[in-house]
Amino acid sequence: MEFEPMEEFEQQLREALERRPAPPSLKRKLMASRRAERPATPMPAWQRLAASVALAAVLGGAVTWRHVEERRKGEAAREQVLTALRITGHALDQINTQLAAHSRAPQE
Amino acid sequence: MHIRNMTFILATSILAAATMAAPARAQTVQLPAPPPVEKELAARASNVTEVTLGKNMLAFAAKFMNGKDKDDESTRQLIQGLDGIYVREYEFDKEGQFSAEEIEQLRKYFETSEWSPLVRERERKGGEATDVMVKLVNGEVHGMFILEVAPKELTIVLILGPVRMEDLGKLKGLGGLGALGDLEKSTKAKDKKGGAQ
Amino acid sequence: MAHDWQPDFEQLVDEHQSMVFSLAARMTGDRGLAEEIAQDVFMELDRHLGRIESAAHACFWLRRVAMSRSADALRRRRVRGVDLWVEMEEHHGSPAEGRSSPLGSRLEQLLATLPEPQRAALVLRYQEDLTPEEIAATLASPVATVKSHLQRGLKLLRAKAANHLKEYVRGI
Repeated sequence: MEFEPMEEFEQQLREALERRPAPPSLKRKLMASRRAERPATPMPAWQRLAASVALAAVLGGAVTWRHVEERRKGEAAREQVLTALRITGHALDQINTQLAAHSRAPQE
Repeated sequence: MHIRNMTFILATSILAAATMAAPARAQTVQLPAPPPVEKELAARASNVTEVTLGKNMLAFAAKFMNGKDKDDESTRQLIQGLDGIYVREYEFDKEGQFSAEEIEQLRKYFETSEWSPLVRERERKGGEATDVMVKLVNGEVHGMFILEVAPKELTIVLILGPVRMEDLGKLKGLGGLGALGDLEKSTKAKDKKGGAQ
Repeated sequence: MAHDWQPDFEQLVDEHQSMVFSLAARMTGDRGLAEEIAQDVFMELDRHLGRIESAAHACFWLRRVAMSRSADALRRRRVRGVDLWVEMEEHHGSPAEGRSSPLGSRLEQLLATLPEPQRAALVLRYQEDLTPEEIAATLASPVATVKSHLQRGLKLLRAKAANHLKEYVRGI
């Protein structure tokens, strides 16, 4: 068996293993999933909080810290729920895969 | 789809379990305190996710789910009436970071007499294990427990309260994990070809 | 810990999706599964975005998790003793883009027949251009082990490629 020089083979391997473009559907699905998990908001939470506080001051109303703080806690709780359900969904997916594999096992 | 397969399997298993389970009184339930072994597992894990939400916190979170958003609405329906959600996900950098004894401790801590096992899988070589249990009250599911063990990952899911199987199926969309249909298709194609050479 | 770099999820996806997808595709030999793994990896990144400290950290983190998830997926599929290039023939219906030689695309297929640890080392070396030390950090493996996998993997791949070329030439 004749081999070409190692350097040449390594170069061929490098060319063969150039990164492939990801399918366009990957980013599309990712961003769609992300949007579904969070309501579309033009500003991050801290900016919304700052804007709420500033607006209340400009209007001369009393700053109701309790309301602002409650909103922040509620959104944090919502995120926690989504995290928990995401992990649960993932676990159920894995179980389903295993069960499906086992149901095919007698054929192997 | 795959989650519906799972819910079908669970639903039929629950029917079987319900005929054998002794009727129990519905009562206010509280999430258990974390078992001591969790602290040790968390200390060794490279990534830790711990979520504990009691009835009041779930109700509070539900108020902030935008009713106009379809997925938020699904989530709200799922958690409505639940007594609690307890989730732990531990990821480890390498294998061998937890022992079979620790897993058994975890399982025994949650497996009280009210729970009926539905799935119990063990893979001796890789050390993978899956446990699914349900709590039945008057023949209805009032709790679900999942313990999923992989060489570098542990997942514990405990849901207390009335769990509707059809709502569980909606978790697929929330997880954003994409369809496992391709995997099923590719595995079926491999089966057609005749498997290992 | 305060740091100036602010992670932008979409930007990270744009920058690294081909890397993550390619790693998963070459480890599993399955484009559909690779896309799923890539999606999983980026969703996990989203959960941990607050802990990413720099652009370099993001790249390292994505490589590490992509390799880890690919290994998990392979284990779940319980593919033992199957010559994966057979599956790739099934799944890669469309011809590989931009391949100048049949040997080039065949090399990729032959790579999938190597034992997993050797395959992982070679993919990180020749796709990502990582040094053995960087590969060791990515895979949480000792450097000596990585070097051994690289050496053996390359030798085995080269032998397989030489065999294939003989058959290819014979077939013309």
